[in-house]
Amino acid sequence: MEQTTKLPESVKYDLTFAREIYSLENGSYIKQCMQCGMCAISCATRDIMDYSPRRLFNLIKLGKKDEVLKSNTFWYCTSCCTCKARCPRGIPLVDVMHDLKRYAIKNGYVDYPQAAFCKAFWAEVAGRGKVFEGGVTARFYLIRGLDEVLKAMEMKDIGINMLKRGRLPMFPPKKIKGMGNLKKIIRKAQEIQRKEEAR
Amino acid sequence: MEKKIAVYICTGCGIGDALDIDALSKVASKEFKANICKTDAFLCGKSGIDLIKQDIDGEGVNTVVVAGCSSRVNTDVFNFGPDKIVERVNLREQVIWCHPGEDEDTQMLAEDYLRMSLAKLKNLNLPEPFIGENLSSTVLVVGGGFTGLTAALESARAGYKTVLVEKEAELGGYVGKMYKQVPMKPPFTDLEENSIPALIKAVEDAGVKVYTSAVIAKTAGGPGMFDVTINQNGTDVEERVGSIVLATGAKPYEPEKLGHLGFGQYKNVITQLMFEEMVAAGKMDANKVAFIQCAGSRDQEHLPYCSAACCIESIKQALYVKEKNPEANVYVYYKDIRSNGQYEHFYKKAQQAGVIFIKGDITDISESDGQLTIEADDHTMGTKSVADEFDLVVLANGMVPTAALGETVEEAPAEDEAAAASDEPKVTVAPIIKSNLLNLEYRQGPELPALKYGFPDSHYICFPYETRRTGIYAAGVVRAPMDMLSAAEDATGAALKAIQCIESTLKGEAVHPRSGDMSFPEFNMNRCTQCKRCTEECPFGAINEDEKANPLPNPTRCRRCGTCMGACPERIISFKNYSVPMIGNMVKAIEVPEEADEKPRILIFACENDAIPALDMAGINRLQYNPWVRIIPVRCLGSLNLVWINDAMAKGFDGVLLMGCKHGDDYQCHFMKGSELAEIRLSKISETLNRLGLESERVRATTVNIMDYDKIPAMLDEFAAELEEFGPNPMKDFQ
Repeated sequence: MEQTTKLPESVKYDLTFAREIYSLENGSYIKQCMQCGMCAISCATRDIMDYSPRRLFNLIKLGKKDEVLKSNTFWYCTSCCTCKARCPRGIPLVDVMHDLKRYAIKNGYVDYPQAAFCKAFWAEVAGRGKVFEGGVTARFYLIRGLDEVLKAMEMKDIGINMLKRGRLPMFPPKKIKGMGNLKKIIRKAQEIQRKEEAR
Repeated sequence: MEKKIAVYICTGCGIGDALDIDALSKVASKEFKANICKTDAFLCGKSGIDLIKQDIDGEGVNTVVVAGCSSRVNTDVFNFGPDKIVERVNLREQVIWCHPGEDEDTQMLAEDYLRMSLAKLKNLNLPEPFIGENLSSTVLVVGGGFTGLTAALESARAGYKTVLVEKEAELGGYVGKMYKQVPMKPPFTDLEENSIPALIKAVEDAGVKVYTSAVIAKTAGGPGMFDVTINQNGTDVEERVGSIVLATGAKPYEPEKLGHLGFGQYKNVITQLMFEEMVAAGKMDANKVAFIQCAGSRDQEHLPYCSAACCIESIKQALYVKEKNPEANVYVYYKDIRSNGQYEHFYKKAQQAGVIFIKGDITDISESDGQLTIEADDHTMGTKSVADEFDLVVLANGMVPTAALGETVEEAPAEDEAAAASDEPKVTVAPIIKSNLLNLEYRQGPELPALKYGFPDSHYICFPYETRRTGIYAAGVVRAPMDMLSAAEDATGAALKAIQCIESTLKGEAVHPRSGDMSFPEFNMNRCTQCKRCTEECPFGAINEDEKANPLPNPTRCRRCGTCMGACPERIISFKNYSVPMIGNMVKAIEVPEEADEKPRILIFACENDAIPALDMAGINRLQYNPWVRIIPVRCLGSLNLVWINDAMAKGFDGVLLMGCKHGDDYQCHFMKGSELAEIRLSKISETLNRLGLESERVRATTVNIMDYDKIPAMLDEFAAELEEFGPNPMKDFQ
């Protein structure tokens, strides 16, 4: 398979970035990767990724911050869990990918549309307790900026057809009952996550 | 012993339906005048056994011929005590299961097999065991390192007097110098305290007689009667021992040869052992350390093999650094991490501790201000990599077995220069390296023959520990590269084999692979021409020479393969129950139809260890094969005497096929060289055949592995087809 991205000619090892990644919730699992490549051959979207998960992990080990965070690998992860089920070292790759997505957004690596979608989706769920497609779309384009909105106008016919056939609700649904409890759940989960990271 | 022969034909398992049992009985009772001939429908059942036992008690039968299943099954059922001869005729696996029933050819085959067995009895006697004089039950362990101590402890605890000889002034060996040792128990993740002090104490408590600062000056005799001269600080002590465990271990590969990795050039490039001693002395304060694996191992210019233990040892040493300072940077450059078995957990533990593993080849090491820079090709990323500021670089410099240290004993140049110069195939001789470990008084050389790279192994799949010298068992890293867990297992296994050898020798039995065989070769010295073939060809060095150059057999060293019997041109060597005339009679007993009958005959000599099981398996799987074949099992193809081929050709057989084990570098022969010797002898018979006006291609050898059973029908058909082209053997008409 052709490697889509060029690697640096020569690498030097800088462990600062690696240590930062290892401190993420599931980051320390990366250390036990033995480069067998089972994840790479299991991955359904490997063909369109810059680096296979195995290579991404190695780049983390090498401390290649820019290469890692600018890569599309974790954005193309569909969370199918095949790699996670097959990893002989028991690395929960899907969870590691989620951590990397969050880490990339936090550090301003948001060029991929998936990053915007991730943010929009999360804002929608956290604010309403359920997803409203119109809301997600609106938020997505707001995040992506005016250029993207103009481009999106080319798809207006599809949107109108979907509206006509009732495939896209016109008005936002009601918030779920017990929104307060959901917030509590989310807060609790975030608390656990922070604890894991501090571990 | 006057033989009273009783023949029992089993009609069970379909034999009765497929064959004419009455005709078969007539062969026994009319042709061979057997005293008793009976049939039973279920001979291995209670009634069948009772039938035989009644005749043994009532009629005084002492020779039982069981015509039924293969001699590989029901051995315990058809055992009537050590004073009764039991001969088995394989009518099931090799007749009715692989040939059509109620068929003329099948019937002829069955009758021939019965004739062969009955003819065999003429020269077959009960073996009388050879019991040596003044046999010893002491186990000698050579080498007082981890393996030697473990072996000595195991044998002493099993109740055998044990003697331990160590070259150094202190016991402990290589492991004794270690700061800590690799995990030996679940969960296989934690460093363990060095076990040597406790092991030394246990050995002393178990009553092992220890000689330190001692070497073996001479080892004479054989199993049960090794006379060992131990030289301790210049004085000689004699010990008589029953068997020997060789656990002299290995030496680190000379780091001076690793200049390309900076050893000798930069003072901070050190070896694993130097690092170990540095840590043990508390002098290790490096915070950035690189370990370079396969420094000299798996390298055609240095050690071509994997030293097996270095990966785990480096992981352990990396953890020393992390133990002292968890923030320290540790890099391991490797080709492949070979942390076999449970040590995978140990590898994972090191990864979790933050040790960085880089798969790559070192391209350059340089130094500035005492700090080292390593350049490498990173194989997982396909790039070059540079890492600097290393305080220390540790080379995992592999190990060389102590048995490989010394000069190779050169074979004396052949007396007949012309013979040596010709293209005649020669037997490959296993190299013997004069390593000064055992100093054996064996005709064939002073040490154990090496299998590969100087390791004195013999057959690592079927018989680990077993060297090519009966009663001497190699264990630990002198036998093969291995980690500590394997060395402990090896030590125990070798101690057990040493004990087995002592017990078998006391009973006059072969140790292995023909365990329990009481026969041994007897020499009719009157006719010996001192040609030395037996002494040269014995794969186990069992035959020395006396002052007059006569063969001097050491029966306790013998493994009963019969290679000497096959080698002897005068045919003076025979076993009580296995001899040249015995097989010759079998060949002669086979009825070869006249040319007009158009029934060719092919004689097969098949090795009992692999070819016979394969033939049986072909039967078990109901594979049908050529009915012209007549199979004679031999102990080893090495026991093949060329006179049998003459007999067969004179008898009118159209072809002879030898089925033996694979030979060469990865041989599978249980007796090392049997099939190879047979092929070499065969190459010399072509002249004789040509003189008889026969094509030498009528006789050929083939190798059969036990898993080749499915190829046997094709193999036989092919040979039969080729023979057909030559036409029938012209000797048929001279009968």
